[in-house]
Amino acid sequence: MPKIDLDFKKKLTRVEYADFLTYCYQCGACVGDCPSAKLSPAFNPREIVLRVLLGLAEPLLKKDSIIWQCTTCYTCQEVCPQGVRPIEVITALKNIISAQGMLPDSISASVGIIKDTGRVVLVSDVINKRRTEQGLTELKPVPMDELKKIL
Amino acid sequence: MKYAFFLGCVIPTKYPQFEAVARKSLPKVGVELVDVEGFSCCPEPWNFKSYNIMAWLTIAARNLAIAEEAGLDILTLCSGCFATLAEAHHILEDKPELKDEVNKRLSKIGKKYNGTISAKHVVQVLRDDVGAEQIKKSVTHPLEKIRVGVHYGCHVLKPSETLRVDDPADPRILETIIKPLGAEVIPYAERLSCCTGACQDEEMVFKFRYNKLQSLEEAQVDCITLVCPACFEAFDLGQVMLNRKLEKKFNIPTLYYVQLLGLAQGLKGEEVGITRHKVRSPALLEKLN
Ligand code: SF4
Ligand code: SF4
Repeated sequence: MPKIDLDFKKKLTRVEYADFLTYCYQCGACVGDCPSAKLSPAFNPREIVLRVLLGLAEPLLKKDSIIWQCTTCYTCQEVCPQGVRPIEVITALKNIISAQGMLPDSISASVGIIKDTGRVVLVSDVINKRRTEQGLTELKPVPMDELKKIL
Repeated sequence: MKYAFFLGCVIPTKYPQFEAVARKSLPKVGVELVDVEGFSCCPEPWNFKSYNIMAWLTIAARNLAIAEEAGLDILTLCSGCFATLAEAHHILEDKPELKDEVNKRLSKIGKKYNGTISAKHVVQVLRDDVGAEQIKKSVTHPLEKIRVGVHYGCHVLKPSETLRVDDPADPRILETIIKPLGAEVIPYAERLSCCTGACQDEEMVFKFRYNKLQSLEEAQVDCITLVCPACFEAFDLGQVMLNRKLEKKFNIPTLYYVQLLGLAQGLKGEEVGITRHKVRSPALLEKLN
């Protein structure tokens, strides 16, 4: 038996911009133009919204969830006649996965670099050398004391 | 036209040639780039937003607050930075309770974001503030024989409700700023498809990119032109990775828009950094000379 969490949709209706999901009338417009749905029949933004509405989102909340196939192209938001923003529903689900410590390894590594250095790419001597060769100044470290305080 | 130059992370570290050519070519069309200290990662709108929306919004607001203190609008060359900063600005305007919460966090470091500035992508500045006429006036070496396939990417256009740059179903902004350079913009079937940088399924990513490059090859373009470093990586390094898996080999070089601008203003291929790219095309270099 699939696990039904009747209160699950409340978690998302409280997230800004994912909060329009109850307006979904399952027309499927978001599927037709979704690049990921074209290549992967198992990926379906209409169904993702439906699972959330029905409290059947548990299979989506995993490290290897199908939602990581989304390209974040925002086409579903453009075409939805109901203003649902399926991409924001997907992002909210990713935030829930993240809060459970289950981000895919490559994503959590990239988030870690930002949290440690304030940039998504590690600045090395090689990088600064390449910059000065091209007449650019070296990159200064990001003020991490400030970033740590606001997070 | 004075802007706080928001470098982001990927361009100044992996592709400093785009920054270098922007610093040379934008002043020639009247854009002054001001370096403001203290910016961090925008933060990028794929992985970091997936991690925690509130953390994403707070760091973005700190960057916006720094530009606001300097009294300048932001100019960025990167669609990711643009999407994050423009969207964060919009959210903070739209949701006063979120703005209060974010500003409470910023007050710990003596900062506040009031919402008085905006973040612009370089293509917006070129179309709206500079204009095609002014771009054309700066051209000394029209790129007459060059056939360009434009790749829009997603985050400079969508969500259109928030970003308000162009119609994502039929955008014209890149064509508008490429035509004054003298190059020919070639339509192709996959013009609006995504680079798929954020998709975590490798097989799918290869298929997406194969379809795109196939379509560009059929249209016989000399190069792809785009305005996002994530998209650049997808078609430069990404093309090399794809070629390794294929019998056939694609050879379509990718140029950042500012590189085209620099070339049209008389800089040489080497000076705009195209010789640093993974995919190089002798045919293109020959046409440029
Ligand atoms: S387009 Fe909107 S209303 Fe239609 S199925 Fe998708 S989310 Fe629901
Ligand atoms: S954002 Fe994701 S779900 Fe929406 S259309 Fe693009 S790939 Fe599909």
